[in-house]
Amino acid sequence: MTEILLIAGDSVRALLHRRLLVALMIGMLGLTVVSSLLLNAVLERVQEEGAWVPESNQSETDKQQARQMRDGLEELGPIFMAGFFWFATLGGAAVAVYTCSVAVSTDIRQGTISVVLAKPVTRAQFLLGKYCGAGVVLCSYSALTGIAMVVFAYANQTDLNLTARYAPWLMFCNNLMMGSVALLLSLFVRPFVAAVIAYFASASFLSSPNPLYFILPSYDRLNVALLIMEGKLIAIEDIFVLTLYAFDVAIIFVLLSLWRFRTREMI
Amino acid sequence: MSVIRLENLSKTYKGGIVALRGIDLEVNAGEVFGFLGPNGAGKSTTVKLLLNFIRPSGGTAYLFDEPVTCARSRRRVGYLPESVHLHRYYTGQRLLVFYAGLSGVERSVRSQRAAELLERFGLLGAAKRKILQYSKGMLQRMGLAQALINDPDLLILDEPTSNLDPVARRDVRDILLEFTARGKTVFICSHILSEVESVCDRVGILQHGELRRVGTLQELSGSPITRIVVRDIPAGTVRALSAAGMRLTINGREATIACKDEAAHREAEQMLEAHGAEIERVETGRRSLEEIFFDAIEGT
Repeated sequence: MTEILLIAGDSVRALLHRRLLVALMIGMLGLTVVSSLLLNAVLERVQEEGAWVPESNQSETDKQQARQMRDGLEELGPIFMAGFFWFATLGGAAVAVYTCSVAVSTDIRQGTISVVLAKPVTRAQFLLGKYCGAGVVLCSYSALTGIAMVVFAYANQTDLNLTARYAPWLMFCNNLMMGSVALLLSLFVRPFVAAVIAYFASASFLSSPNPLYFILPSYDRLNVALLIMEGKLIAIEDIFVLTLYAFDVAIIFVLLSLWRFRTREMI
Repeated sequence: MSVIRLENLSKTYKGGIVALRGIDLEVNAGEVFGFLGPNGAGKSTTVKLLLNFIRPSGGTAYLFDEPVTCARSRRRVGYLPESVHLHRYYTGQRLLVFYAGLSGVERSVRSQRAAELLERFGLLGAAKRKILQYSKGMLQRMGLAQALINDPDLLILDEPTSNLDPVARRDVRDILLEFTARGKTVFICSHILSEVESVCDRVGILQHGELRRVGTLQELSGSPITRIVVRDIPAGTVRALSAAGMRLTINGREATIACKDEAAHREAEQMLEAHGAEIERVETGRRSLEEIFFDAIEGT
């Protein structure tokens, strides 16, 4: 266990020293904040335009239009929230596939793996340590998104429905699943190719609702932006099932990675 | 107890490249074993198999009587790769503490052990600097320090002095002698025959994946050989001797012809006489490692 924790710590350190990853994380969070500020500005502008005429001076038609605008604004809340999560999810996915595709392959490419595996460390401990480290980075990213979401909702005075409240967790599950696919693929192909395939190798992209659904992981069930946009409220039981699904997929892909890594020759 | 044991170990890479052809070898505790061979002989493949980086096509390798597939077998092993690639984002001190943790060194003594090694290798001043800023020589010394972090009973060194200047080479040799004086085992892969000759108790010579010779230098040197020393040898004579398969070493103005038996000695003398070269002296003695090495790889 100590070995796994040490390697996980090293993995986090290694990932945080990757400028591209840090830039990606900061960039995606920045983009999310900027987009939410823009959306907020649009919202305020619409509100101002609807409110500049005093109600006593308004004709019946104006009043009706103002009512329609207020209703429209109420409907806009979830759309803005979905927009926020669309950016956040995209950023999370990019961080996930990048983090997991480079986690092990970089050590192999740079040759540092030979020093580590010459110590009394099993390959399974090495791979699990690297995966845990990547998991910590993904978890941190989701936590940051969660904080940004609360700030965004507070700034927009938007109610956080159940889906949005659990969104960071669902996003983390989604990223973990996507990351596991990237990790496995990175043991066969170059990290960049692995990352791209991991992002698109989903039943959601390829074959929904065709038979591929049964053999490929599906990310759209955990697509928070889509859920919020469609106004689907997720019950706590559903979140439990989705979590199980994501962890099932992640475990299967990590086991496949372990099998591949155990048989791979470190030349 | 054998520290390293190879039983009929063979390795064929994808594409049918045969790197090892069923070698048997045993290295005992307290020995300094030199593993020699030209490039592509299979030395690095053997080290990779010993450390379980690659899987054998046949046979088994053991470290401390445990199969190398068992991670526990590496608990008492230190390894210095030929090209040292270390985690560049750590400082020297942090890196050694990290490797100490992986090697199973107790948490309470990790920092102390790291500091001792940094001092021993003259890296204490660079302890707080990132590995990224280390020179090649410093990296090699750091590589050796990480190999010793767990105070191993077996040290596997792959070309340990390849990136070092002469002063650092001498330091490494001193460290090895100090290490072996404590009864530890060293397995050195090297091209530098003089280096191996000065520190090794036994050597193994590998060629085309086959172990051609194994033994102490005394065992391998066999019967004494005769050396004919010629001063200012003409170029034509050198060509003629080489064409006749004579082993010739030129050092400054002196050329030495090694003759493994009386017939070769006679033949060399006749050729020198025919070319008008004057023999300065004739010596008899044990064969040097270089001579043993060339005999082995040329299959004589």
